[in-house]
Amino acid sequence: GGAMSFLKRFPPPAEGVRHQQPDTEAVLAGRTLGSGTLYIAESRLSWLENSGVGFSLDYPTISLHAVSRDLNAYPWEHLYVMVNAKFEEEETKEAPMAEGEEEEDSDDDVEPIAEFRFVPSDKSALEAMFSAMCECQALHPDPDDEDSDNDYEGEEYDVEAHELEQGDIPTFYTYEEGLSHLTAEGQATLERLEGMLAQSVSSQYNMAGVRTEDSIREFEDGMEVDVAPVVAGQFEDAEVDH
Amino acid sequence: MEVSHSVKERTIAENSLVILLQGLRGHITTVDLRDESTAMGRITNVDAFMNVRLAEVTFTDRQGTVSRLDELFVTGRNIRYVHIPDEVDIRATIERQLEAIHRVRYFGGRDKGRKEFPRAKHK
Repeated sequence: GGAMSFLKRFPPPAEGVRHQQPDTEAVLAGRTLGSGTLYIAESRLSWLENSGVGFSLDYPTISLHAVSRDLNAYPWEHLYVMVNAKFEEEETKEAPMAEGEEEEDSDDDVEPIAEFRFVPSDKSALEAMFSAMCECQALHPDPDDEDSDNDYEGEEYDVEAHELEQGDIPTFYTYEEGLSHLTAEGQATLERLEGMLAQSVSSQYNMAGVRTEDSIREFEDGMEVDVAPVVAGQFEDAEVDH
Repeated sequence: MEVSHSVKERTIAENSLVILLQGLRGHITTVDLRDESTAMGRITNVDAFMNVRLAEVTFTDRQGTVSRLDELFVTGRNIRYVHIPDEVDIRATIERQLEAIHRVRYFGGRDKGRKEFPRAKHK
């Protein structure tokens, strides 16, 4: 057979290597590529033969990976990796096709599949190899995901910190300070609570210089509670998240 | 009841049916893959991107060849179908998962603990 033309020389990955396993044979579709080192890095999966040539696989192209200890299926315990891509083995696809027969390559709907097996001389390393691959795979979620609803503001959103200036968070506010930090929702809540309070003491109340129709109607006989007037337009600066 | 350590993943799960699959941890089920192979095994983990990790797997490839795999990780993209076992109460499973997420989110009381943004941003 011919040389594996997809093999290239490149330096081993230096960053984000979650696991590396020396003395690991790489096998493609049943044909051995030699013995080398498998590098399970966050950016890609790489294997380099001891001579310095090898190949890399990008995680988005990897459909699945598995630990196989079934010696009936394959005589050595190994890490199985199924890749959604074609790797040339030999240049032999010259045979003419019978009429009506479809070759996999020509059918757009059937995706190419390549099966790699990584056989470490140290079988006990398979668990660690498998786990490292799971971790790295999870770092590469599918960008073509049809469910585009996964579009979240992913960072932790701390409502309090967002609305306050940098600095210490006070444990309580004076009335004016507190009002200035209210969102529209907070303002509505405050109004409602004050309404309940007003109801219980039968008194009118002012809020930001506005007297509600309800309070005029219901509490006409009540005492007028003089609340410190608040500057109009107070809430314009409040950050409202609709 | 294990819940993801990632805020983003919890939010995604809470708003999609992946939350049901996450509740299947420990159950034996069959996963049909995009290339027509199938994997039957015990679910050990499902993340928010529907990547599924199975243990003690009976794998039938697209040619029909059966083999056993100790552990299998299949990417969400390559899953066509996950069979929900008959004994699973779907509604109860989803509710349990939601409770677990809320326990994490509101740990320490309503206004303490982690503050999270539980809704998708509007488009």
